[in-house]
Amino acid sequence: MKRRHLLLAIAGVAALLLFPAGVSNPYYIHLLETIMIYAILLFGLDIVVGYTGQVSLGHAGLFGVGAYTAGVLVMKFAAPLWITLPAAVLVTAGFGALLALPALRVSGPYLAMVTLAFGTIIQILINEMTFLTEGPLGIKLQKPSLFGQQLDERDYFWLVAVLLVLALIVVHRILRSHLGRAFEALRGSPVASDCMGVSVYRYKVYAFVISAGFAGLAGSLYAYSEQYISPNSYNFELTVLFLLAVIMGGRKSRIGSLVGATIIVLLPKLLDDIEMFRYVSVALAALVLVTAVVGIQKGRASLKQMAIPVVGSLALAGLSFWLKTMTDWRLSIFGVIMLFVVYYLQDGIVGFVRNALNLQRPKAQVQDLALAGGDAVSTAAAGASGEFLEASGVLMQFGGLKALNDVDLSIQRGTIHGLIGPNGSGKSTMMNVLTGIYVPTAGTIAFAGRSLVGRTSSDIALSGIARTFQNVQLFGEMTALQNVQVGLHHTFASNLFDVAVQTPRYLRESKAATQRALGLLQFVGLDELAFEEARNLPYGKQRLLEIARALALDPQLLLLDEPAAGLTAPDIKELINIIRKIREHGVTVILIEHHMDVVMSICDTVSVLDFGQKIAEGVPAKVQADEKVIEAYLGGQAA
Amino acid sequence: MQILTQLIFSGIALGMIYAVIAFGYQLTFATSDTLNFGQGDALMLGALVGLTLVGLGVNYWLMIPLVCLFGAFQGAVVERIGVRPAIKIKSEFGWIMSTIALGIIFKNVAENVWGRDDLKFPSPLPESPLHFLGANVLPMEILVVVGAVLMMLAVEFFNRKTIYGKAVVATFNDRDAAKLMGINTGLVITFSYALSSLTAAFAGVLIAPLTLTGATMGAVLGLKAFAVAIIGGLTSGMGIIVGGVILGIAETTTGFYLSTGYKDVPGLVLLLIVLAVRPAGLFGKTAIKKV
Repeated sequence: MKRRHLLLAIAGVAALLLFPAGVSNPYYIHLLETIMIYAILLFGLDIVVGYTGQVSLGHAGLFGVGAYTAGVLVMKFAAPLWITLPAAVLVTAGFGALLALPALRVSGPYLAMVTLAFGTIIQILINEMTFLTEGPLGIKLQKPSLFGQQLDERDYFWLVAVLLVLALIVVHRILRSHLGRAFEALRGSPVASDCMGVSVYRYKVYAFVISAGFAGLAGSLYAYSEQYISPNSYNFELTVLFLLAVIMGGRKSRIGSLVGATIIVLLPKLLDDIEMFRYVSVALAALVLVTAVVGIQKGRASLKQMAIPVVGSLALAGLSFWLKTMTDWRLSIFGVIMLFVVYYLQDGIVGFVRNALNLQRPKAQVQDLALAGGDAVSTAAAGASGEFLEASGVLMQFGGLKALNDVDLSIQRGTIHGLIGPNGSGKSTMMNVLTGIYVPTAGTIAFAGRSLVGRTSSDIALSGIARTFQNVQLFGEMTALQNVQVGLHHTFASNLFDVAVQTPRYLRESKAATQRALGLLQFVGLDELAFEEARNLPYGKQRLLEIARALALDPQLLLLDEPAAGLTAPDIKELINIIRKIREHGVTVILIEHHMDVVMSICDTVSVLDFGQKIAEGVPAKVQADEKVIEAYLGGQAA
Repeated sequence: MQILTQLIFSGIALGMIYAVIAFGYQLTFATSDTLNFGQGDALMLGALVGLTLVGLGVNYWLMIPLVCLFGAFQGAVVERIGVRPAIKIKSEFGWIMSTIALGIIFKNVAENVWGRDDLKFPSPLPESPLHFLGANVLPMEILVVVGAVLMMLAVEFFNRKTIYGKAVVATFNDRDAAKLMGINTGLVITFSYALSSLTAAFAGVLIAPLTLTGATMGAVLGLKAFAVAIIGGLTSGMGIIVGGVILGIAETTTGFYLSTGYKDVPGLVLLLIVLAVRPAGLFGKTAIKKV
């Protein structure tokens, strides 16, 4: 399987490199060159859109920054290629960081508007800063020279092709690494990312910076390719085209980016040539029809699912024969395609084909990895027994409601501490306060001698507090193995450079992380399901996966929020064993649970909350007999 | 000093237009947590349809309700095609992209129907300025301010005093609970989009006589109005008026003292700063996300 992929890739690259030898028409060479340049940008855009799940409307602006960095350097200083390209990447990456700064606090539509505003500002600045950019006049430049040799159209094509392949390899490596998993985790569940020590803020900025770097490279190549740059090229239309390319080609897929780039470069040319457009739209309709028929025959898709794309492509073909000229309606056609893609082709062309032909997403290669000997669960650092987590006078107020009212909690090292109480008594709020999701209104919390109040969730997670969530917060589109690997993010010291060139350090860390992740999955009994997407696991298994992921943080303290909810009786037995084994490793556990048999059988101490106040505390048997507790659960006598 | 007063007056008129468009953002955000990225294009369509109606000999004052009707219809279309399917599949990405797509389509259609050049919109009021505090004020500018305020008051009155308005407010507070109480929340959301585009179209015919009318007039106005909506906070009515006026004045003064090329910059920079520092806006309440 892998060898076949490699052969295909080599054949593809060879065909690409030989293209100018076979086709001498410079028009086609230039067209393919443009596709490759756009593809480089789309690789980067896919990191933001596909992996972190944010909409960026600023990439045309970043593309422009790259182009103008190269253009200005050439115009003012006659800088050679080996300076302009890296400079464009660095400058644009800097702008990416600038763009990400306001983006730190916001996401979704706000972020989309921020990026749109950013793109608009860039365009205005390019237009107005005539002393630097020549304004609306634009900048003319020549094809660069390399090693003292002036490159012609064909040489430059090869240069772009080589850079495309390099970009492809680097992006692929980044996305397969712990960095890529961090990006994807942001999309899956920001809260869980933070609680796994993967700071949402930091990785959102990284994603934008890396993405901008690629946009900068593409922009500078574009400047040389066109030999003329002007402000109006980098407008809203282009940014929308880029987005269309990413979602239409297929998110989270390099092939998708290549397909998308091809479409957005060729589509405007096609629309200029109505004859050609008619042929292509008919061919497209036929292709969709065939795919649909194959898909239905293989039982992968229902007639109903396939009906809409088929009808849509047929309608497009019909429209092409109806309209006299398409050029003026170009944007409308883009808009319609976009609507179509957003609702009916969510996985893009690559996803659609993959679905119809029943191909699996390529899986990370992890064969030949023997399980590491010994235990995957790390033993918590031994320390003097005694107070370990000390919360006193914690008050958490939402408006007028006191979700926690003056609660003291002291947890002994190496124990299992139960936290029970009726619904709405403040148990989960306590968890959220302990993990930094809420900042308490008043009170102090000290963990291993350090205050937790005011620290970020990811910081707290890295200092040794891991948690699971009452409403499961897994990274749905990632496999069980990858989910645990996100928890192991803290074991990586490798940086972007290590990942890009696959240094021994990165390879070592990566292998160790995979082994440990498999070991942790085995610990909770999910090793069979390692390559299943988390969202496809049954509910009970999802809860176990959350425990495995939390253990990957090598926690001193593990907070379990209703781990037994939704589990069957035999599963609960298994869970009790797992929790006991966790304690044997010296990990302290705080357990929120409604199954009293679980609580009573494994907890050393139990605290009871009711209406945000602690009403009882002690060994399980004592608490069970406490009047106040019984009253809280069953209601008191009418006074 | 006289120039400054003059700039402030024009800034206020411009700012009220931003406030009205921003108000439209608030309306849809209130009912469905979604925004129409094509809000600026709704304004542009309103202005162009108004221009055509005036060209056909319809009186300016009679034209306004017709344009409002058109705006309401256009908003409902956006909601049905672009937003409802996305809400159904709970895809934020979906509605962002589809309202952008619809915006592009509207703009392109407008280009093909009305042409690419900017058109002059005949002013319904005398174009000779009035003198006020030593500065010249166009009667049209006064109309803009009065019209904008009336529009917002009317919608607020509707929301607060009528049973239909209560449905809107209930949907805002809790969509699922409102649904269970028998409110057709889908219809309420459609209605809010209709109302939102209606206000945008209305803003379009108000501002058209002061500026030029054309297919490209909407995009930047929509973006800057979003800045106003953010500055004011997406839930504060007072906030957008203050925000709009601040931005309007910032813009006219930048345009005069710096360069007209830079006049869009303060609004956009302000948007970036406010989002970076206080995403809930200057007047909005910070909501705590429940986990």
